Amino acid sequence: MTPSGTRGARRKAGRIRAIRLVATREVLERGRSRGYLLSLLFTLFLLAAGFLLPTLVLTGDHPTKIALVGSTPAVLGPALQTSAEQFDATVDISTLPDRAAADAAVRDKTVDAALEVPPDLSTPGELIVLEEAGSQLRGIVSGAVISLRAGSTGQLLIPPSVTALKPPTAENTTAIIFANAGIILMFIGIFTYGTWVLTGVVEEKQSRVVEVVLSTVRPRDLLMGKVIGIGLLALAQLIVLVAAGIGAAQLSGRLSLPPTTVGAVVQLLTWFVLGFALYSTALGTLGALASRVDEAQNAAMPVTMTATFSYIVAIVFVTQEPSGVVARVMTFLPPSAPMVVPLRAALGVIDPWEVVVSIAIMLAAIWLLFVVGARVYTGAVLQTGSRMRLRDAWRASR
Amino acid sequence: MLEVLGLTKHYGPVTALDGAAFTARPGRLVGFLGPNGAGKTTTMRCVFGLATPDAGEVRWDGAPIDAATRLRFGYMPEQRGLYPRMRVGEQLAYFAQHHGMPGSEARVRTAAWLDRFGLADRERSKLEDLSHGNQQRVQLAAALVHDPELLVLDEPFSGLDPLGVATMSEVLRERAAAGVAVVFSSHQLDLVEEVCEDAVIISRGRVVADGQIDELKARSGRRHLEVEVAGSGGAWIADTDGHTVLERDGDRVKLLVDEAVDLETLLAAARAAGEVRRFSFEPPRLSEMFMAAVTAPQPTMAEATR
Repeated sequence: MTPSGTRGARRKAGRIRAIRLVATREVLERGRSRGYLLSLLFTLFLLAAGFLLPTLVLTGDHPTKIALVGSTPAVLGPALQTSAEQFDATVDISTLPDRAAADAAVRDKTVDAALEVPPDLSTPGELIVLEEAGSQLRGIVSGAVISLRAGSTGQLLIPPSVTALKPPTAENTTAIIFANAGIILMFIGIFTYGTWVLTGVVEEKQSRVVEVVLSTVRPRDLLMGKVIGIGLLALAQLIVLVAAGIGAAQLSGRLSLPPTTVGAVVQLLTWFVLGFALYSTALGTLGALASRVDEAQNAAMPVTMTATFSYIVAIVFVTQEPSGVVARVMTFLPPSAPMVVPLRAALGVIDPWEVVVSIAIMLAAIWLLFVVGARVYTGAVLQTGSRMRLRDAWRASR
Repeated sequence: MLEVLGLTKHYGPVTALDGAAFTARPGRLVGFLGPNGAGKTTTMRCVFGLATPDAGEVRWDGAPIDAATRLRFGYMPEQRGLYPRMRVGEQLAYFAQHHGMPGSEARVRTAAWLDRFGLADRERSKLEDLSHGNQQRVQLAAALVHDPELLVLDEPFSGLDPLGVATMSEVLRERAAAGVAVVFSSHQLDLVEEVCEDAVIISRGRVVADGQIDELKARSGRRHLEVEVAGSGGAWIADTDGHTVLERDGDRVKLLVDEAVDLETLLAAARAAGEVRRFSFEPPRLSEMFMAAVTAPQPTMAEATR
């Protein structure tokens, strides 16, 4: 090997050592802090809230719309009203001429359910729903039908049979739960730990320790070590939460894990790493422009807004229409890809080529951002005083 | 040996360094002096690669300084700072490792320096829980823990109590005795005069005086004279060419005289006024040389004495 070759190799070894030292310090200092444990608990709390909130909102006070199909016993309507009162609920009753109209109404959600009961009450009849009948709906309808049949003919107390037009499969349910949990974890993780990178950079600047550190470490190695160290903590938390979720699901026996689980988890972890690298590099760079933590949070606003926007769009549009135009476009945009791709993958509606292209774009974006970010970071991190402008920081470093 | 060669650095319209040049030798203590804004901190930052000069370079043992060389240097910036919430022992070991020390050795050296500063029992304390003086000691230890060959300290004495000043001077002297090249900036000129062998005076980005303090004094051509003539009330002398009355105190006068002034003539004048009780003569204080050097019009003293 030529002398310059060995020198180059030695320099590279030195840089890797420096990055490793910085990352190790972050892991040790923050990993055993109370903040890390709190963030784990907080994430669990948010995750639970993320699941419960939609359920709470959806089971609000609005009346359940039930359509009576064809000719039914005249007293069925009032009986349903009475039965609903027992459940402290209200029902909104309409009529439809035949079974075909009932199926159509249920499918396009103009009614929540349709009920077909023979006028002579010879059978308990049939309840038609889209995906599944909730326990409340089932209770109201059964209560009404059974009371009528008991009163008139004294036959067996059998509830109406339930027909779901689009019955959910166990795999489908699990995939949706996984996708939602994954995206919530992704967002919280990127936000929480990205903010750690942001404040970590400002705190080093504010406490002036950065000048001592930079007397031996290159600025971009410091930034990279910080992103890697905090990223490892974030990844560890994500793995713990995912493992806990799968474990809990297995134990409770409520969810059967579909064969796509492994793939979904791998996608989630991969995209978390990519998303974290992108967002925390951006946040660390902007943090270097500020001199105080509150200033940094202002400086970081564009990035946090982008993350929030991507999250909301992913939750709202992509879960509704996972193969729609919005979902497809967002698959290839680096800020939104980390949330959209694993979501679509969990729902099983993404082509492999889309994943490959999206990852390639993402890697290119991370590399570009790191080159630009490292230069801005270098130019800004030793400047004190008021908040720097991005352009000045870019120019300040050679 | 540290060689600073013709460093020039502009920050926008501001010229921070304008061809600054000096050397610092192993085993010597160099006082790096200059008014605020003269370019001391920028020079130090150039040594550590924290600022890139527009022109000129810094060499160590004859070769340009690279990242690997820098690992053998110790730096204490003017803006003190360590990780407030990190434990003292781990913090020092961390910095030692950044300078290339293996972890085990870093811990041994950390323990040794904490012991030296009487902080052995605070090893597991967070830095922010230490008193101000002890935090300063840890800061010094952070610059020393990896046994550097060159020690650069920006205002190491500022903010220290007399006890801290004593510890700091002792440690710096001891490091120099161990063969380390020590460069530190300070505004406490009397302290520099007492501690250092060499001085570099920088003004408006240029080095205006550089060398052994004793030689600089001998070369300066200005002397101090203290004369006491009984019963004269000091009236025998007035400001004229070649000498300035610095202070009058009854029969005593303190004079600043140029090299050109004939002391015999001056003594004769004093004798004529009365009984001469005291006629003592000493070289100028560093502080006076400093004032003269940084207020001197161009060409600079350095050029004049070359």
